[in-house]
Amino acid sequence: MSKGSGDRIFRAIAYSAAALILLIAVVFVIALFIPALPAITKFGLGFFVSRTWDPVRIQFGALPAIYGTLVTSAIGLLIAFPIGLGAALFLAEDARLRFLRGPLSFAIELLAGIPSVVIGLWAFFVLTPLMRDSVDPFLKHTLGFLPFFQGSASGYGFLTAGVVLAIMVLPIMIALSRDVIRAVPRSLREASLALGATNAETIWSVILPYARVGITGAVLLSLGRALGETIAVTMVIGNRPQITSSLFASGYTLPSVIANEFTEAVGDVYLGALFYLGVVLVLITIAVNVIARLLVWRFTRGETVSA
Amino acid sequence: MKSVLVALSAGVALVLTACGGSPTGGNPSTGGPGVPTPPAASLTGAGATFPKPYYDAANFAYNKKFSQVNINYGGGGSGAGISQLTKKTVDYGASDVPLSAKEAAAMGGSDKVIQIASTLGTVSLAYNLDSVADGHLKLTPDTIAGIFLGRITKWNDAALAADNSGVSLPNQDIHVIHRSDGSGTSYIFTDYLSSVSPDWKAKTGGPGKSITWPTGDGAQGNAGVATRITQTPGAIGYVELAYVLQTKMKQAALKNRDGNYVIPSAAGATAAATAFIGSSPSQFSIVNASGKDSAPISGYSWIILYKDQADKTKGTALVDYLYWLTTAEGQSYAINLHYAALPSSMASYDLLALKDVTSGGSALLSVS
Repeated sequence: MSKGSGDRIFRAIAYSAAALILLIAVVFVIALFIPALPAITKFGLGFFVSRTWDPVRIQFGALPAIYGTLVTSAIGLLIAFPIGLGAALFLAEDARLRFLRGPLSFAIELLAGIPSVVIGLWAFFVLTPLMRDSVDPFLKHTLGFLPFFQGSASGYGFLTAGVVLAIMVLPIMIALSRDVIRAVPRSLREASLALGATNAETIWSVILPYARVGITGAVLLSLGRALGETIAVTMVIGNRPQITSSLFASGYTLPSVIANEFTEAVGDVYLGALFYLGVVLVLITIAVNVIARLLVWRFTRGETVSA
Repeated sequence: MKSVLVALSAGVALVLTACGGSPTGGNPSTGGPGVPTPPAASLTGAGATFPKPYYDAANFAYNKKFSQVNINYGGGGSGAGISQLTKKTVDYGASDVPLSAKEAAAMGGSDKVIQIASTLGTVSLAYNLDSVADGHLKLTPDTIAGIFLGRITKWNDAALAADNSGVSLPNQDIHVIHRSDGSGTSYIFTDYLSSVSPDWKAKTGGPGKSITWPTGDGAQGNAGVATRITQTPGAIGYVELAYVLQTKMKQAALKNRDGNYVIPSAAGATAAATAFIGSSPSQFSIVNASGKDSAPISGYSWIILYKDQADKTKGTALVDYLYWLTTAEGQSYAINLHYAALPSSMASYDLLALKDVTSGGSALLSVS
C-alpha cells in the first residue's frame, strides 16, 4: 500500500465522521420540529406570548416557562458572577497563598462533577428549609421594600432555583474566567506595575478591561448551562406556571415543564406543545452559545476589541 | 418507599409458594383449579406508574408460579403506554384512564381493543398541622373544592371551623400542594372535584392528568408531594393512600355522598366501586360514590390489549396472565400494597372481556 492511499483512507474516515456529526445535528433538529408541528400550526408565534398552560382545554403558551427560565438563570448568574470572578482572579493572579490553589482547583472539579440530581436532592431537603426559615425572612426584612422580596416564602421558587443554578454554573464560570485572565499578555501587567500601579489597580484597570470580552463569553457559556438545567431546578422551583415579580413565588421553567409532563402528555397537540417548548429552549440555548463562542473565539485569537 | 413493599410482598409470595399454602405450591409449572397454565412466552408492557408497584409484585409472583412466562412492565406513564401499544412495541399497555375515542381510533377502532380494570386506588388528603391529630380534620366536598380553588386560604376559615367543632384550627396560611407531573392520581382527584363542584369544573375544564391548578405548588410524584407536605407547616395535598400509610402522614376524614365522614381505605375504595354496578371502560368514573363506607376519591386502573393477537402463543400467555391478575390470588398482591381489590362485578366484566381475545379467529382464554 502506497503512502498516498493511506492518507486517502484516513481522509475518508475523518470526512465521514465529520459528515455524520453534521447529519446527526440536522436530523435532531428536524426530529424535534416534526412532533412540534401540531402545536406550531395551532398556536403559531402566539405561543411565545400566551400565559395559558391548560392541558384540559388544550391551550398552551410558553411565556411563564420562558420567564421562569430567564429569571432563574439571571439570578444564578448574578450570584455566581462575583464569586466566580473573584475565585478566578485568585487562581490566576494572586501570588500569595499559592498553596491554596491546589485545594481550590480540586474543589471546583469536585463541584463540577456532582450530578445535578444529587444537587437537587440536597437542595430539596436542605436548601429549601434554609431559604424558608433564614434567607427569605432576612431578605424580606432588609430589602422587603423591593417588589422582588415580598409575599409569603415557602422556600420553593425562583430565588431558590437561582441559588441552585449559581452553585451549578460556578465551576464553569471559574474555570473559563481563569483561563481568559491567564491569557492576558504578561507585558501588559508588567507595564502597568512598572508605571507604579498596585496589584488591585492593575487588575481593575488593565486585566479586567482586557479580558472583558472573554469573561462575557464565560458568563454566556454559564448561562447556556443554566438555561438547560432540568432536574435540580424542577425539584425546587415549585412548578407553577405564573409570572410574578416576587422571587419568593413559585415558577416554572422550560425544561421543568417538559420533564414533568411528557409521560402523560396524551394527544398530538399536547405532546406537540412540549416539543415546541423544546424547540424554544434549543433556539435560546443555541443563540446564547453561538454568541459566547464568538466572544471567546475573538478573544483567544488575540483580536482585542476597540475601545 | 414502594419498592420496599414490593420486595416484602414478593417475599410473602415466596413464603406462600414454599409452604404449599396455595393450591399450586407443589409444582410451579401447572395452574391450579381455574387458573390456566400458560405457554412459554416473554411479555412486555408499558404505561401507568400508579399501579406499577402492584404489577411488579404480581409479575414476580407469576414468574415464580409459572417460570416459563417472563413479564416485564416498563412503566413510563399512561401516555407512553398508549403510544407504545399503538406502535405495537409492547404486548399490553396500562393507563389510569381508559382510551379516548381518538386513541382507540389510532389503534384501529374501539372494537379492536380490549380494556380491563386491573386494580383500584384511592386518594387521601394529607395535611401538616401540629394542633390537629390524624383523622381529626373533617373535610366536605365544599371545603375541599374551596381549598383547591384558592377560596379558603386560612386554616381557621369559618367554613372549615363549622365542620370541625372541638378541633383547634390555627390562624395559618393553607399551602396547597399538587402533582407537577401528569398522573392518574391527579386525574382521580380532579374527577372528584369536577363531580362535586360545578365551580371547579367551570374554572378548570374538568378532570385531567395534568391541569391548570387555580392555586398551590407542584411537586413530582406521590413521594414528592408527601415530602413537601411533611416539610411545610400548614400544607395540604392529595396523595395516593399507600404513601400516606407508609409515611405516617396525617390524613383527613372525608365526607362522602351519604354524609358519613370516612378515612380513606382500600375497603372504602372497593365499597365505592361496588356502588357503581355497570362500570366499564366507557363508564369508568367511581368518584363521589354512594354507600356509607365509600371512600369518595377512588378510581380504577386499566390494562389495554389488542383483541386480535397476531402471535397465538404470546396472546395465550397474555390472557392467561391477565386473567390470573383479576383472580383472588392476583389481587392479593394489590391488597398487600394498599390498593383495593376489584369488586366481583368488575372481575366478571374482565373475564368476559378477556374471553373475546382471539388469534386467527379462535378464542385464547380457556376458563369455564
